[in-house]
Amino acid sequence: MARQQVLEKTKVSDRIFLFQPCVGSNKYPGLITSATEFFRKLGIELVTSDDQTCCGGFLTFTNVAQPTSTMPAVARNIAVAEEMGLDILTLCNGCHTFLTEFSHFMNDRPPVKNVVNVILSMIGREYKGSQDIYHSLEIIYKLKEKIRKNVTRSLSGMRFATHYGCHYLNGFKKTALDDPHMPTIMEELIEAMGGEIAEYGENRTCCGTGLTQIIINKETLSLPHTKMKLDNLNAAEPDAVVVVCPYCLAQIDRMQQKLNYRGSGDYKVPVIHLVQLVGLALGVDVVKLGFDAHAISFKNFLRKFESVQAKAEVVNG
Amino acid sequence: MHETNKEWLPGFDKKFAELTHQMVKDLEKCLQCGKCTGQCPAAKLSSYNPREIIRDLRMGNVDKVISSHELWLCFFCSGCYAVCPRDINFPFAVSMLRYAALAQGYGWEEVKEIKDPYAQDYYNTGLSVNVNERNLGVKKEIAKNSGTDGRIETVRRKMGLPPKRKISQRAMSEIRFIADATGMTDLFKEIDKKVAKEKSWNYGSPADLVKVKKGPNQKFIDIEDEEKERIS
Ligand code: SF4
Ligand code: SF4
Repeated sequence: MARQQVLEKTKVSDRIFLFQPCVGSNKYPGLITSATEFFRKLGIELVTSDDQTCCGGFLTFTNVAQPTSTMPAVARNIAVAEEMGLDILTLCNGCHTFLTEFSHFMNDRPPVKNVVNVILSMIGREYKGSQDIYHSLEIIYKLKEKIRKNVTRSLSGMRFATHYGCHYLNGFKKTALDDPHMPTIMEELIEAMGGEIAEYGENRTCCGTGLTQIIINKETLSLPHTKMKLDNLNAAEPDAVVVVCPYCLAQIDRMQQKLNYRGSGDYKVPVIHLVQLVGLALGVDVVKLGFDAHAISFKNFLRKFESVQAKAEVVNG
Repeated sequence: MHETNKEWLPGFDKKFAELTHQMVKDLEKCLQCGKCTGQCPAAKLSSYNPREIIRDLRMGNVDKVISSHELWLCFFCSGCYAVCPRDINFPFAVSMLRYAALAQGYGWEEVKEIKDPYAQDYYNTGLSVNVNERNLGVKKEIAKNSGTDGRIETVRRKMGLPPKRKISQRAMSEIRFIADATGMTDLFKEIDKKVAKEKSWNYGSPADLVKVKKGPNQKFIDIEDEEKERIS
């Protein structure tokens, strides 16, 4: 689908259901606060619910639960948003994949949907398939011009590398907002906020989490892969690397610590989720961006950022 | 993986559909062009080869694939799907083949490693990722960066959030009902039982590496830290 068509399909309501990711709450809570705060600045209210749990799809693709078990679990979570009449915004490539794939699977097969609803009826819920499910990139890109106008702390003078992750662009090559091979939407967004791009060759390679490889083949597959990516990334000398998935964030952030600990290098690139970056540019309180929860320090990044801001103030009088 | 020659199976996709919960179609359309393998991160680092797996399946060597170590090396990055001229969603096939492998008694150890931290947390807290930091090295870094004790609860409080994300009682009872009624809980128990009983299929885990590498300069001690934290 062409980008224009996806953008036309993307509807940004003034209230959206924020689907909270597990890693984004229990490891990197800044994702939720950043998103909530900057969307509020743009006049959009993100609504959360204590009834929403882990999406549930993760357990399927790691083979610890059958799709017949997780399909109703995913449908239940979507139903929570449907009951409020809200579209869903996801901050995680995984949540987005599982919610979207499973809802398509059910919508395309009425008998499956019926069986799921038999189970849901026993807990007083129903999956309708009435609301849209969006990846954060879709909504944020749609708001690009509004974001540009609302920048209060320009990112100019800062260099960013991008990492799109696998599951949005690759897995949805027919329906995603951008091309899986040479995407530019994140770069355009960064430039709209005044930032510069640090290009590197391994941009489109996986972070190395590999869904389960970080657990079952950490030493032979996951870590060597991440190291290869990091070495390539570091050569571009970015001030930070921008991601759109908390799993990518966790992998790139934490594996740097691990490699440093083992004496396999000196890795210190801060990893920032796109919602934290937009929050930073739109003037969200730095404490609320949640950099404190990251393993790789933002000290140098913030010092450079502050000095660039101070210079800009002098220039602008 | 060594390939044995058999005839190209007619009506393969139809046969295959049952094995994969009808989630994977179109393997029959594979051109054997090898684009998938060319960009595959797992193929770069191991003997894994998605094109060869498809060929093997098409040759009727389904058991060989299902019992193979390679089946557990896929990153699920979907890079193969992105480049495939036939739009074959191969990682979906891998996931479904892994279920078929479990049914034949393979792969239980891999699944157990994933189940223990994530599925347990899902059933007990509603979230698959726990708030407790298992890696003490990361905890130390967070403590240093944030000027706290390094616990996420403390960082959350500093940000004006409650120490833990709240999941309602209703949600907990609902997901447990679904898990119990659909056989999810039974599968968890089966994984525990199976792996405790037979340790047949072991080709090395991070824990083994710790043992091997142990020496005067214990480079891999951080994994042990993780283990300790998990136990405590
Ligand atoms: S890229 Fe597609 S068509 Fe080519 S070998 Fe791989 S699966 Fe077959
Ligand atoms: S999804 Fe699996 S088979 Fe496909 S490119 Fe990624 S690692 Fe290779």
